[in-house]
Amino acid sequence: MIEIDGVSQVFQTSGRQNHLALSNISLTIQDGAFVSILGPSGCGKSTLLYIVGGFVTPSQGVARVKGKAITGPGPDRGPVFQEFALFPWKSVLGNVMYGPRQQGVSSAEAEAQSRQLIEMVGLKGFEHFYPKELSGGMKQRVALARTLAYHPAVLLMDEPFGALDAHTRTRLQNDLLNIWERDRKTVLFVTHSVEEAVFLSDKVVVMTRSPGRIKRIIDIDLPRPRRRAELLLDPHYQKYVVDIEGMIDDTSEDELQP
Amino acid sequence: MMSWRMLVSRLAPLLACLGLLGIWQVGALILDTDSFPTAIDALRAVPSILTDKESLINILASLRRMAIGFGVGVALSIPLGLMMGRSRAVASFFNPLLMITYPVPKAALMPIIMLWLGVGDLAKTLVIFLGVSLPVVFHSFQGARAVEEKMLWSGAAMGLSAGQRMLRIVLPSALPEILIGCRTGLVLALITMITSEMIARQSGAGNILFNALDMGQYDTVFAMIIIVGAMGIGLDAAFEQLRKRLVRWSEPRFDLPLSFS
Repeated sequence: MIEIDGVSQVFQTSGRQNHLALSNISLTIQDGAFVSILGPSGCGKSTLLYIVGGFVTPSQGVARVKGKAITGPGPDRGPVFQEFALFPWKSVLGNVMYGPRQQGVSSAEAEAQSRQLIEMVGLKGFEHFYPKELSGGMKQRVALARTLAYHPAVLLMDEPFGALDAHTRTRLQNDLLNIWERDRKTVLFVTHSVEEAVFLSDKVVVMTRSPGRIKRIIDIDLPRPRRRAELLLDPHYQKYVVDIEGMIDDTSEDELQP
Repeated sequence: MMSWRMLVSRLAPLLACLGLLGIWQVGALILDTDSFPTAIDALRAVPSILTDKESLINILASLRRMAIGFGVGVALSIPLGLMMGRSRAVASFFNPLLMITYPVPKAALMPIIMLWLGVGDLAKTLVIFLGVSLPVVFHSFQGARAVEEKMLWSGAAMGLSAGQRMLRIVLPSALPEILIGCRTGLVLALITMITSEMIARQSGAGNILFNALDMGQYDTVFAMIIIVGAMGIGLDAAFEQLRKRLVRWSEPRFDLPLSFS
């Protein structure tokens, strides 16, 4: 279980002014839940993810994982970034093996596991390619495999498909759902796409723009396993998308007021 | 079959050298002065230098100083540059120091260093070390600063400590930039090697060159210039081979732009 308890984040801007990025966020995420954080850009949703990852220390409040306050990054929480952040000097296999090797898994075992994961994300045959030789979608598949390889209990996904074209994005969403439905890790997924959030999640957290506050938490009560073709025709799905889009529009109007 | 165009591009460096020697030869014949021997005379003097035991000892002594200066310079500069790139405190301490020393020609420090350390190996090696250090520090600094934050975060999540991240993420991702600095450092090492021997004459390749100049042996002077130039080309080419091998993962594929094909 992840508990975010009264978390606020203040950044100092270049003009020496304080910018309140997150204001008093409290949120509980159950084990095995797929939770999306949705909001306009600049609402601090990525910052919230970085706080859970232990990459950023909150100015106020505390985030806990399994009851213990988060003090830094750890292999129990695996990040996947929009920028992929692969190690360019390592091959696909080298990247995926990196985590297990660091955790003390023997070379042979790490390689066997990694080859399996590479196959699972659909990159069999690309084991010895370098990141520069891969497309964006393939890089993100490697990044996902690299994070899954050290078995984090929680996946922290920071707009992972944001830099990809629509077609690749759809395919990766489907593949992510397939993988997730197998082992049901806890996933915290940051996105600004309403369709993506509804399609993937059990719960969607809608945030307001600066300062980031939680506006609404919506339970997505759609059956699993979800199939894209069925879901797009499902009026429940369509209603979720329209309703949530309405909420996002509201926040944009709020912002226009002084 | 190799096309005519490919043949030309392969032979281009050779043709450039031959062209240069040709212009030299013609120029020397036209000017016809003692202080400008013809290319053929200069080339003829090369084997006699390279077979002379005394000269060889001098040249090897130069190369030894250069290797030590370069090696120590690189070994100290890379860690310093990387730390500057990742720590604001370290950077703001060393940056002003480097800014002051950067534009100073290192060989200009030679007389002072000679006063302190004498005219022996130590003074000359120190000058080479100084010449090598700055570009290597600078490029390591730039390389370390450009390392993507998210890459370090990914490493931290896998359990890499701060020290391990420095060694296993910052160092490899800055390597292409570091090696550019090392390549500049290598050429500077050769330059400072010769100039240090010009000021503190006692042994070395520069010593042969400037002694010959004093004695008016101009073909030896130009032969030494050819030898030093060839050393530079050879070292640079060897280093470039090593560099390419080390950072093959970062090189974009070299495809000629359409307009040239």
